[in-house]
Amino acid sequence: MQQKIDPIVRKETAYIAVWTLIFSRIMQAVFLIIDRWDYTVLLGNLLGGIATIINFFLLGITVQRAVLKEEKEAKQAMKISNTLRTFLLFIIALIGVLLPCFNTWTTLIPLFFSRFAVMLRPLWEKRRDATEKGEA
Amino acid sequence: MELAIGIILGCCALGAGLAMIAGIGPGIGEGNAVAKACEAIGRQPESKGAVTSTMLFGCVIAETTGLYALVIAILLIFVAPGRLVDLLVSTMAGL
Repeated sequence: MQQKIDPIVRKETAYIAVWTLIFSRIMQAVFLIIDRWDYTVLLGNLLGGIATIINFFLLGITVQRAVLKEEKEAKQAMKISNTLRTFLLFIIALIGVLLPCFNTWTTLIPLFFSRFAVMLRPLWEKRRDATEKGEA
Repeated sequence: MELAIGIILGCCALGAGLAMIAGIGPGIGEGNAVAKACEAIGRQPESKGAVTSTMLFGCVIAETTGLYALVIAILLIFVAPGRLVDLLVSTMAGL
C-alpha cells in the first residue's frame, strides 16, 4: 500500500531546497566574481543541487517509514537506504566528474549544502522565536 | 618513469579505498538513531513530529561524513592521477 508523504518531510525538504537555492546563487556569484563562470558551472550546480534535494527527500521518506517499524527492522532499513543513496550520489558525482559539460567542483560542492542548511537551523529558529516573542 | 606512474596510480587507488572506510559509519549511526527514535515514539506517540524532524537533521549531519569520504575517493580516482602524472611528466621534462 502506498503511504502518504508526511507533512514534516515535505516541510523540511522545502527548507533544504530553499537553502540549496540560496547557496547555489552565492556559488554562482562567486564564480562570476572570480571570472570562471560558464555554462558548465550552471549545469554542474543544477545536477549537484537536484541530487542534494532528492537525497534529502529519500532520507525523509525512509525515516518516515522506518519510525513505524520495529527497532531491528528500522535499523536494517536505514542501513540499506544509506547504501543505496550513497550509490546514487556516487553515480551523480561520477557524471559530474567525467562529463565535460559539468564543472567538477560545482557538482560536488552542492552535495554539502544540506549540511550547511542544517548548521544554520539554530540561528533560523532563534530568530523565529525572537520574532514570535516580540509579537506576543 | 613507468614505475613512478604505477606507484602514483596505486597510491591513489589505495587512498580512495581507505577513504571509503568512513562510509561504513553513517549507515550504522543512522540505523542506531532511528532505532532509538522508534523507541521514543513508542513511549510518547504524540512527540512523533518533533522526533522525526530532529532525527532527519541528525541523519543529514551523520551522512555528510560519508559524503566527504565519497568525494575524496572520487577525486582520488578520477582527478588526482591525471594531475599528478602531468606534474611528474613536466618535472621529468624539466630535468
